Amino acid sequence: MKPNRGRLAVLFLSIFCVLLHAEDFTYTIRPSTLTPYEKEPVLLRVDINQTNPEPILLFLFDIKPKRAYRVEQISATHDNTLHHAKEHYLYLLFPLKSGLLDIDFDLTKRVTNDDKVHYFFSGDRDDFKKLETTDSKVDVPPLKIKVKPLPKGTQLIGNFTLNYLFKPKKVEAYEPVSLRISIEGNGYPPLLENIYPKQEDVSLFASKPVLTRHVDAHTVHYKAVYDLALTSGKSFDTARITLHAFNPKTRQQYTLNIPSEHIEVTRPDTAVLVDKTDTPPPLHSNWKQFGTLMGYLLAFGAGFLTAWMLKWHRKEKARGHPLTARIDACNAKKQLLQLLMAEDAQRFVPVIDKLEADLYGTEKYALKQLKQEAKERLT
Amino acid sequence: MTEKITQLKEELSKAVIGQERMIEGLLIGLLCEGHILIEGVPGLAKTTTINALAKALGLDFKRIQFTPDLLPSDIIGAQIYNPKDHSFSIKKGPLFTNLLLADEINRAPAKVQSALLEVMQEQQVTIGDETFPLERPFLVMATQNPIEQEGVYALPEAQLDRFMMKLIVTHNSEAEELEIMRKGATKSFGEVKQVLEREELFALQKAIEAIHIDPELEQYIISLVSATRKPEKFGMDSIAADIMYGVSPRASIDLYKAARAKAFLRGNDYVTPADIGYVIADVLRHRIVLSYEARARGIQPDEIIAKIVEAVPVP
Repeated sequence: MKPNRGRLAVLFLSIFCVLLHAEDFTYTIRPSTLTPYEKEPVLLRVDINQTNPEPILLFLFDIKPKRAYRVEQISATHDNTLHHAKEHYLYLLFPLKSGLLDIDFDLTKRVTNDDKVHYFFSGDRDDFKKLETTDSKVDVPPLKIKVKPLPKGTQLIGNFTLNYLFKPKKVEAYEPVSLRISIEGNGYPPLLENIYPKQEDVSLFASKPVLTRHVDAHTVHYKAVYDLALTSGKSFDTARITLHAFNPKTRQQYTLNIPSEHIEVTRPDTAVLVDKTDTPPPLHSNWKQFGTLMGYLLAFGAGFLTAWMLKWHRKEKARGHPLTARIDACNAKKQLLQLLMAEDAQRFVPVIDKLEADLYGTEKYALKQLKQEAKERLT
Repeated sequence: MTEKITQLKEELSKAVIGQERMIEGLLIGLLCEGHILIEGVPGLAKTTTINALAKALGLDFKRIQFTPDLLPSDIIGAQIYNPKDHSFSIKKGPLFTNLLLADEINRAPAKVQSALLEVMQEQQVTIGDETFPLERPFLVMATQNPIEQEGVYALPEAQLDRFMMKLIVTHNSEAEELEIMRKGATKSFGEVKQVLEREELFALQKAIEAIHIDPELEQYIISLVSATRKPEKFGMDSIAADIMYGVSPRASIDLYKAARAKAFLRGNDYVTPADIGYVIADVLRHRIVLSYEARARGIQPDEIIAKIVEAVPVP
């Protein structure tokens, strides 16, 4: 039988990564590769199985964060069947620098018994009882990986495809041209800064790229969408974009290209754009309206002042009238009625009518108001 | 009823600008069958007003200009001797009418005034041995010039008492006079049409009698009239010396009737103190005889009346 290199490697990795722990449980950490390229996604499967059914075991597992790598947890399955605990974690690990890297783990074993579990479950929402456990850190040796450097100038790591769309290609001056770029594939998240280079006489408007992730059993699928807008006052050619990518699986470099496109910008006919008549009307018309408004205000003010002055004048005139003091001296409505009847009743007809309505009818008027009205009729 | 009065006023306003108080006084006199004495300078539409009133009512109207040489027979009529058959025939004077304007009554001598005032009281005329009742309504509107003018005979107090009201006619306001001037110059005063039948006038007079007056107000009228006689009783010692004679019982009757007519003209079917207040001066001013001291001090009857109205408490 001809030895198969792949099978040998898997066998080697399995032997390397399976670590038996004491007599209570076993754990397995299986990376998809131990020699990844920088930013190449490494799928990391972690399985923890209780082997000794005597105690009740629970586990807390995590990968210690480090600047040298980036970790994304894809899934976690917990089977906390008492005495037969099983944990399964799936991570995606991206080494961020080349060289030898130690991936550190944090595993805690929690031991409890049936009585404590029973006590824990005897609580309810309002009487929560903590599960008492005896926790102990498990010393997990770091996973050592050797990270290979990327070819110089690599922007994308993985197997990506590129799509783009300019729309429209004929615009009027400063009308935006929409450019949508989508990079899709497996690998390191395809997020790039300044995907479109700066161009003279072209204004660039860019929104934050939207990254979506699709996970399956073996890998993660990314899609990054860049929405941009270009505007210019004259026709221009869009920048040619070349993205250098590297596929770690095939160890091949490739490029993703967006060729230059010609955008035709038409300048509007200024003769058409400029109105023959001002719309809205020019400022001097506004002044005219303002003048009209001021005229109205002046007329209103004059009317108001005239009315006020007339009232004031009548008041002043009434103040000097000999009857004013006598009207003021009236303490009762009947007294006021007698006074007004005595002093030229015809002049005070409206006030007398009100006094009558008050004294002999159902209407009510304040004496002060009636006195004031009587005084106003003196002038 | 009120509509008829409004129509009447509107018709009068076609010929007379302003002078609402005179018109209202005339209407009160007409409704109460009381005679009216009007005092005012010439040219204030006194004749025009009564002429318009006669037209609006469809009544007969006559005007007598009183002069110092006027004789009683000139106004009441006389027996005329016929030499052919040696008999006497009756020639009725201008008194035989419905509305009579006795212009400048104070220019006629006392015997002529007395003859007229007797007719006003009795509503009948005796010529020779024959008596002729006057046709209803009979309303005398007498005018007199202000008493200060020369060549006039002051009406005796007893005769003045026959007049239900004495109205003081004053000049129109400037705005009214402008309108009078324009209309007078262009002869554009409206033509007064008859709006009231004689029977309708009698119905209105009947309606006045139905106006309710409260006993307290009747007592109020009595108190006002009494106050002209005994002012000190109402705490008016200061005016007691100013009054020589208070008003007669005829004043109480006329004030009672005038107050009811005023209430009617205001559209009410009951009298209020204000109705009395509106007419009291017109009813009492010619009936109060002032003392010499008061006249010397230039006190007017209206001042006395004002003090009385102010002093006598309203119900």
